[in-house]
Amino acid sequence: MSASTIPGGDYTAAPELPNVLPEPKKRGKVMGFVYGHPTIVIGGTVVALMVLIAIFAPFLFTKDPTALAPARRTRAPSELYWFGTDMLGRDVYSRVLYGARVSLTVGFSVAFFAAIIGTAIGLVAGFMRRVDTVVMRVMDGLMSIPGILLAIALMALTRASMKNVIIAITITEFPRVCRLVRGVVLSLREQPYVEAAIASGTRTPVIIWKHILPNTLAPLMVQATFICASAMIAEATLSFLGAGTPPIIPSWGNIMAEGRALWQVKPYIVFFPAIFLSITVLAVNMLGDGLRDALDPRLAKRL
Amino acid sequence: MFAYFIRRVLATIPVVLMVALFVFSLLYLAPGDPAAIIAGDQATPDDVERIRSSLGLDRPFLVRFIEWLWNVVRGDLGVSIFTNLPVSHMIAQRIEPTLSLMCLTLFISLSLAIPMGVIAAWKHGTLIDRAVMMVAVFGFSTPVFVVGYLLAYIFALQLDWLPVQGFTSISQGLWPFLRNLLLPSIALGLIFMALIARITRATMLDVLSQDYVRTAKAKGVEQKTILFVHALKNAAVPIVTIVGIGFAALIGGAVVTESVFAIPGLGRLTVDAILRRDYPVIQGVVLLFSFNYVLVNLAVDLLYTVFDPRIRY
Amino acid sequence: MRRREFLRTTAGAAGLLTAPYVARAADARILRFVPQANLANLDPVWTTQYVVRNGALLIWDMLYGVDDKLEPRPQMVEGHEVSPDFRTWTFRLRPNLKFHDGEPVRSRDAVASIERWMARDSTMGLVIKKQLESLDVVDDRTFRFRLSAPYPKMLFALGKSSTPCLFVMPERIAKTDPFKQISEYVGSGPMRFNKNEWVPGSGAIFERFAGYEPRAEKANWLAGGKRINFDRIEWKILPDAATASGALQNGEVDWWEQPLPDLVPQLKKTAGVSVDIADPLGNIGSFRINHLHPPFNDVRARRAVQLALSQADYMRAVVGDDESLWKEVPGFFTPGTPLYTEQGGEPLKGERKYEAAKKLLAEAGYKGEPIVLLVATDVAITKAQGDVTADLLKKIGMNVRYTALDWGTVGQRRAKKEPPGEGGWNIFHTWHAGADCVNPAPYIALNASGGTAWFGWPKSDAVQSKIEAWYGAADLAAEKKVAGDLNQAAMDDVVYIPTGFFKGYQAWRNNVSGIVKAPFPVFWDVSKT
Repeated sequence: MSASTIPGGDYTAAPELPNVLPEPKKRGKVMGFVYGHPTIVIGGTVVALMVLIAIFAPFLFTKDPTALAPARRTRAPSELYWFGTDMLGRDVYSRVLYGARVSLTVGFSVAFFAAIIGTAIGLVAGFMRRVDTVVMRVMDGLMSIPGILLAIALMALTRASMKNVIIAITITEFPRVCRLVRGVVLSLREQPYVEAAIASGTRTPVIIWKHILPNTLAPLMVQATFICASAMIAEATLSFLGAGTPPIIPSWGNIMAEGRALWQVKPYIVFFPAIFLSITVLAVNMLGDGLRDALDPRLAKRL
Repeated sequence: MFAYFIRRVLATIPVVLMVALFVFSLLYLAPGDPAAIIAGDQATPDDVERIRSSLGLDRPFLVRFIEWLWNVVRGDLGVSIFTNLPVSHMIAQRIEPTLSLMCLTLFISLSLAIPMGVIAAWKHGTLIDRAVMMVAVFGFSTPVFVVGYLLAYIFALQLDWLPVQGFTSISQGLWPFLRNLLLPSIALGLIFMALIARITRATMLDVLSQDYVRTAKAKGVEQKTILFVHALKNAAVPIVTIVGIGFAALIGGAVVTESVFAIPGLGRLTVDAILRRDYPVIQGVVLLFSFNYVLVNLAVDLLYTVFDPRIRY
Repeated sequence: MRRREFLRTTAGAAGLLTAPYVARAADARILRFVPQANLANLDPVWTTQYVVRNGALLIWDMLYGVDDKLEPRPQMVEGHEVSPDFRTWTFRLRPNLKFHDGEPVRSRDAVASIERWMARDSTMGLVIKKQLESLDVVDDRTFRFRLSAPYPKMLFALGKSSTPCLFVMPERIAKTDPFKQISEYVGSGPMRFNKNEWVPGSGAIFERFAGYEPRAEKANWLAGGKRINFDRIEWKILPDAATASGALQNGEVDWWEQPLPDLVPQLKKTAGVSVDIADPLGNIGSFRINHLHPPFNDVRARRAVQLALSQADYMRAVVGDDESLWKEVPGFFTPGTPLYTEQGGEPLKGERKYEAAKKLLAEAGYKGEPIVLLVATDVAITKAQGDVTADLLKKIGMNVRYTALDWGTVGQRRAKKEPPGEGGWNIFHTWHAGADCVNPAPYIALNASGGTAWFGWPKSDAVQSKIEAWYGAADLAAEKKVAGDLNQAAMDDVVYIPTGFFKGYQAWRNNVSGIVKAPFPVFWDVSKT
């Protein structure tokens, strides 16, 4: 309803921004890529690092992140507790490292499921005119409820669990993908070669597979990256408001939520997870920016 | 054009209805019992049951939904389970803070982000451009509550320039009003600023490469005039679009900002209501939000015709 | 150096700009108070939340009010007569009592209020109701109870400070169904409620009621003359402790009812802020066990947890490192009150015995079935206790299913008697106000009557017979002896496990004086300069 009525183009569909970076100069293959796409390299490296931290958390000098020690609560960062301890005496360093698992799992899963569901529905909407109106109305309805409120309501409906957090955030995010894919489909359908394929009686699944999907992939990847970033923030926000990942699981949002009352006196409890969250989201966003800059020119040529 | 808008407004009715049904069934299915919250720690199960039935919570779903819908049509949003106050009254009490927060946020972020985006586009590829984009990405990546607490810590507790919390109505004077809202608006505005700066830069770059801008340049029209008169006017449509789309996100952000800065707005009302299962309030607020979304989009459509005379309905 | 000076000047300038605001805040006729929780409704009979009771204490007056010895003193009542058999009680109201709408308080208002209260007060009101033969209006200022059995504790009931209290409302309001909420807040207390400025979740305003005539004697908790030195008392709802603390430090509020203990050291350092214990009677943390289902239907499983449970862990998690705020209590009654005893409390004392606990669990036939632990994560005290419990049960080899819910859902779920696997539960946490745990009468958590007992439905004939015996005890010495046996029996059968005794702080600006220690905020005789 909002963007689709903009004359001259669907701004949510042909997402974000046109290509703006200058064409990469030719250098050595690897170095050339690094110089041409610094944001991809930096963002990618940081994300990869976080993934490694998440996987190898148990081996990075951590303790049991849920082990209580009330007698040693709210200790400042020291040699023994690198990031200090929280109000139940748990080791913040270990919790932050394990917290990477939650953030990344939620971010990646939501990006993945939102992409799959959004693509499927977007394809259907793009190809079946009669379904289109209904589906897009439903998407409009979903998008008219502020995402975080919808997610809180969904969390109130179910028991707090990581699975439910993923489902709730996915429901708030997939309409964006749906619109994007539908927009691409609608614009591709006008293309001569697609029209020709339809005219020659090619079956719809084949058209989708051969013509539509390959052209959807690039903007989809970019969109998925941004969804991943916003899902990580959404998880932290939900947990922060007390409606997210179960408090027993150390997630960055939970650590911050528990430490927020003490931020004046023990700022490190909030500080460390906040830094990790911000850096990770920043990296994912940079990756998305870089991908878009790198993928857009080819996309532009093809369209 | 008038007919178009009528059609648009009519087309939104099913959306709003669907949202209403969706939210209503969601809440119906949700566990958690307002009666148990009311009855308190010392209540017997019997008491809880009697309170539930006096609230009408034991009646079937469809009856309750249709009854609610009928009342809404007649302009009655119902009465809060907890406060016994009319929902419309509770919403009215809280509209001013939220609206103020949003307007100030919009004002601050637009007046900072547009120049940022224009300058970045103008100085395209330079260090300034990169710096602006870095700030924008950073604004995107930091959760509102982190920014909020950081700002409160520095400007309220350490420097003691601004209050930590609260809201003062504009009727109490402009400065007391601004004092309370400045920090939350900046915290909430950061994301929005990032969004607008990026879209401004991108569309400006697009416009700047157009023929007529090049012609103007060749004719020796002053740089400032080109940027802010010729180019920006044409870049306005996508900017307005983003502002419209961002509005829903802004409400979401307001929820968090309001709870960090203790602002008695709609966002906190909604979260509290959801957590307490105050069904009539949740339904009323969500209905309001979807109407709001529809209205903002209508306004955006209107603005198109202002900025781009080529557009006619 | 220069830069510093510059900064200071700027700060000073900003300070000047804020001057009018500060001047307004310094107004000695307005008290800004941060209550413990949101004031979401104002029917103190309909709901039992403490915060509602605290607000109601300003609006409505009571027939009797307790002093700091928890003794009931006449408040709206001028005097009473009781028959020697304690079955006929006659009360006479003070003259000149007025409601906020100008109407005089009559005995029919009191009678209607008593009737509504009796229907909802499960600890004492219902007992009176069961024995009630008649409750009559004698004249405009006199009313009379006739009971079928002696009820010597009548004054305690009429003046009880635990919720729901007996507030006297106008008859038309008191006639409201006790299970429905009232919508008119007219009382005869020292302050009237400004309904128009009430924003639930944000603030509530009380204004001085000029027609209130305080009793002559000095106020003592809820007894005596309730003299208010303010035109307005503004309640500001600040659910976020960090925000509330900042507001108090900045002088934006005057009095904070329940500061987070961890923030207290900082508040103590802040110039212009005073901190002290809020309620000498404190609270008792509760580890509530479902007695209906395995493994905890077997007393050995309950004793296993009792042996391993470390109250110090719970108390540190709940209130923090400040050891003056909490103590371990191997007993059920409030420490520092006459009936407090540690008889039978040995299992909770000394080294925690994890191995013995595991052995007991095995004997009880526990084989790793999931234990459903309900945790209300939106209430800090229950959340902290839940986290400790999860860790404790893990230590003794139990398979914990940590179920994170909000308080409302816990309230719903804990009423379910189904097995834990089918929507029921094994454990949840709460706490009891120390004022409610001074003797068995208001102490519903100690009741062990099985199906009709409080959630968890403990059944212990030994405990019940001791409670009966207490009601019959002739003097304090006899009461003490019974309380000892009762404590022992409740410990042996593990009715529930106390997780410790803790107190809270309150904090206020130094220009406020007259704040006393009590289980509720006492606004009378507080003043501000």
